[in-house]
Amino acid sequence: MNTDEKRISIQFNLNGHDVKTEVLPGMTVLEMIRRNFKLTATKEGCGKGECGACSILFNGLPINSCLKLAATLTPSDKIVTVEGLADDELMQRIQKAYVDEGAVQCGFCIPGMTISTYSLLKKNPKPTMDEIKYALAGNICRCTGYRKIEAAVAKAAERGEK
Amino acid sequence: MSFEFYKPSNIKEASELLKNPGYVAVVGGTDTIVKVKGGFYKALKALVDLNGLFSKEIKVEGDKCIIGSACVMNNIAHNPVIVENFPALAEAALSVAAEQIRNVATIGGNVGNSSPVGDTIPALYSLEAEVNIVGGEEKRTVPINEFITGVGRNVLQPGEMIESFAIPMRKTKGAFQKLGERKALSISKINLGLSYWNDGKPHYRIGMGAVAITVLRVTKAEEFLEAAPHPLSDETIQQAAQYAIETAKPITDIRSTKEYRKQMAGVLLKRALNAIKN
Ligand SMILES: Cc1cc2nc3c(=O)[nH]c(=O)nc-3n(C[C@H](O)[C@H](O)[C@H](O)COP(=O)(O)OP(=O)(O)OC[C@H]3O[C@@H](n4cnc5c(N)ncnc54)[C@H](O)[C@@H]3O)c2cc1C
Ligand code: FES
Ligand code: FES
Repeated sequence: MNTDEKRISIQFNLNGHDVKTEVLPGMTVLEMIRRNFKLTATKEGCGKGECGACSILFNGLPINSCLKLAATLTPSDKIVTVEGLADDELMQRIQKAYVDEGAVQCGFCIPGMTISTYSLLKKNPKPTMDEIKYALAGNICRCTGYRKIEAAVAKAAERGEK
Repeated sequence: MSFEFYKPSNIKEASELLKNPGYVAVVGGTDTIVKVKGGFYKALKALVDLNGLFSKEIKVEGDKCIIGSACVMNNIAHNPVIVENFPALAEAALSVAAEQIRNVATIGGNVGNSSPVGDTIPALYSLEAEVNIVGGEEKRTVPINEFITGVGRNVLQPGEMIESFAIPMRKTKGAFQKLGERKALSISKINLGLSYWNDGKPHYRIGMGAVAITVLRVTKAEEFLEAAPHPLSDETIQQAAQYAIETAKPITDIRSTKEYRKQMAGVLLKRALNAIKN
């Protein structure tokens, strides 16, 4: 890293806490949460917006953190990663359903998949199979062939009804 | 690569910054950051963050619908005014990439990037949208079909930015069609926006992307359809499709061949016309 590059101080809310950090002009939110905050659940797959491994919630909505510049964050921005949802009832239900359905193989895509799943079930607790596929269209999995992931989302939704 | 980052607090400041060579505006970043990472900007000096400077809202003002340049695809796709009156644009916005991109990708960025495959652009052509441009204190308005001048090129002068888009307020029927490798996350091989309205006589507007260096209007088909008996017959639709094929001047590139694109211009127009028939 070039040390004479300009460092920028930013403030924002990360997983429910107001935080401050310093970033370089070209640093993405993905690099920042992994390096500055050591939150490594969020993964880098393609770095180009195509695979969804880096999905996080930005002001409540899923985005690709590999394309968002950290320097653009402002104090009113809220970022939530999988770690921030560890105690969340819905996220726990989703994670359990993924495990029960055997939807996790290497696991690399899973933090991103579960973020997309979380966002879907938050606004649409009883999605159809088409809605599930549509919501996960920005997440690529090299291992599972998607069937089990779709089944896991359906199961998480079904268990939520009880 | 070393470059600076600026977060101007007002439009005037942003405009001054953007007058410098090598200074690039960024909003959603879904085009810009991919290009920065890919080394596309050979002389990049600074990124200028426009977030917070322009409206993200959609509102009706008099006889126009005004879409702020910072409005993201998902908001356009689900906005009741757009869905009700400008279905071609709602469908185009919904076809962009995937959920994660649609939550940050702005309409200003889609048009500002000025790619011949940008999906909202043919829809904006079909709706006769205007681009409201601001540069410091000066403002000007340019029709969308005069805004883009080539691949990645437009009429913006250094220091100028897109403030908003204005669409004549009228109820249109419309459709957006695109062909890509798959439904989600694929850049169009070819795309087409169709809008239709009737104010005593029928009006058709057809914008077609990825078939030339900028989006083309298929005026020959538009005039033919306007003069044809309604409801449109299959033969009429077939003839209009033929005009779309004749109008298309595509090239062969990594995404498709020129022969395929030309044929598909006809197919997409046929699909769009059938989609609005009831
Ligand atoms: C994986 C992936 C899939 C994609 N799929 C599609 C797709 O299906 N269809 C499609 O059309 N696009 C697609 N895109 C491209 C991109 O998402 C869109 O073009 C998007 O609308 C750009 O908006 P943005 O806010 O992210 O732009 P930015 O990257 O912030 O900016 C893009 C360009 O516009 C300029 N700009 C931005 N705002 C303004 C303004 N207010 N005034 C002047 N200039 C401005 C910037 O300087 C830059 O040159 C895809 C991108 C990725 C990474
Ligand atoms: S790493 Fe961000 S989408 Fe692939
Ligand atoms: S489980 Fe390996 S990429 Fe999805």
